[in-house]
Amino acid sequence: MREITDQIRQEIKDMIFDYYAEECEVEKDEITMDTNPQEDLGSDSLMFVELIEMTADKYDLDIKLQSIGKYMLKSPMDTMKDVVEMFCKIYQYGNDIVNQ
Amino acid sequence: MYKRAFLFNGIGSKPEKLLINLPPVLMEKYEYYLEETFSKLGLNKDLDKNKAYDGRVAEWVISLICDRVVYEHYIEQGIIPDIGAGYSSGIVSISACFGSVSHDFAHGIIMMNRATMKCLENHNMKLDMGIIIGMNYEDARELLSSKFSEDDIIVGSGNSAFHVMISGKAKAVEEALFCALQEGALKAFSFGTGVAYHHPIMKAYSQEYVDFCGSVKYKDPLYPMISGFDSSIITTGEGVLRENQLNVYTPIRWDLALKELEKMGVTEFFDVSANGAVKKFSRVNKSKCKIYTLEEV
Repeated sequence: MREITDQIRQEIKDMIFDYYAEECEVEKDEITMDTNPQEDLGSDSLMFVELIEMTADKYDLDIKLQSIGKYMLKSPMDTMKDVVEMFCKIYQYGNDIVNQ
Repeated sequence: MYKRAFLFNGIGSKPEKLLINLPPVLMEKYEYYLEETFSKLGLNKDLDKNKAYDGRVAEWVISLICDRVVYEHYIEQGIIPDIGAGYSSGIVSISACFGSVSHDFAHGIIMMNRATMKCLENHNMKLDMGIIIGMNYEDARELLSSKFSEDDIIVGSGNSAFHVMISGKAKAVEEALFCALQEGALKAFSFGTGVAYHHPIMKAYSQEYVDFCGSVKYKDPLYPMISGFDSSIITTGEGVLRENQLNVYTPIRWDLALKELEKMGVTEFFDVSANGAVKKFSRVNKSKCKIYTLEEV
């Protein structure tokens, strides 16, 4: 397991908010932790894949999408809080996220 | 040898999603082509007013018209392809844009899908296609082969490391999509089209389509094309005809075709779809290559 600092958490949150703001063409400050990425922002799963790819590149992670998919069966991504939390777990646990 | 490739999309995008990205000047051209084409084909521009299968093929013809408008825009901007590739019905689109057949004939090919759908209905064949996001070709093939017969369902297209299309009997498609989600797919959904393009089962029901494709002489394309089926390079009219005939019932390896283009030196890919649909499901080596969309051009 990789240690995650408050600074990395904030960096991940900023990266996710910036990404959705740009892709969904909304102001960043309109997005909150309670925002639903699909219903409120109109995001789709292909955007989600791109975000995973960006994260993997940025933090040099080797992550299998199916590990994330299995995690999402247990923990659906209903809010931005869920999304940020999941990406922090990807950073920490990589493919072992499925067991978290 | 090749540096710039044009990528033509298949069907699948709803007209409203395609048209929203067309700037006014291209929209004007689109309207002109639409009026001319729908009038020739006897289709109603109010898609809901078309009967039976006409509404569905009308949507697909709109995709072709959008491709043509975007293609002509790129050419007018001085963006000239060295090679091109067509994904699924994108083969029909590229055949016309690269000059092998007329645009009217390409629309005729799309219209022939009605005969295929009618034939399937007459034989009470319940078929479907679906998309799995979050699995690559190998993962999806392993999943299908562990639970189903290839007669029932196959990977109809390996698109990228995270995107595959499955195709076959409707019940098998439904079950496979459910299994895919259980195995960690991020998303899995069916098209509900009633057809199983790119599954060999379609061969028996698409003779009229295949015959129509072969009813004219094809010119050699203005630029080479790469086959989405076997990554071979096509430079003759006969080759373009073959691609169109194989299209209905042959599985696609879009992922491999793009890799082959990269190997041949392509670094600039231009998505000819109006809404950047090809870029969304395709992947190239980002450190060396880029896929440009209409929005970026």
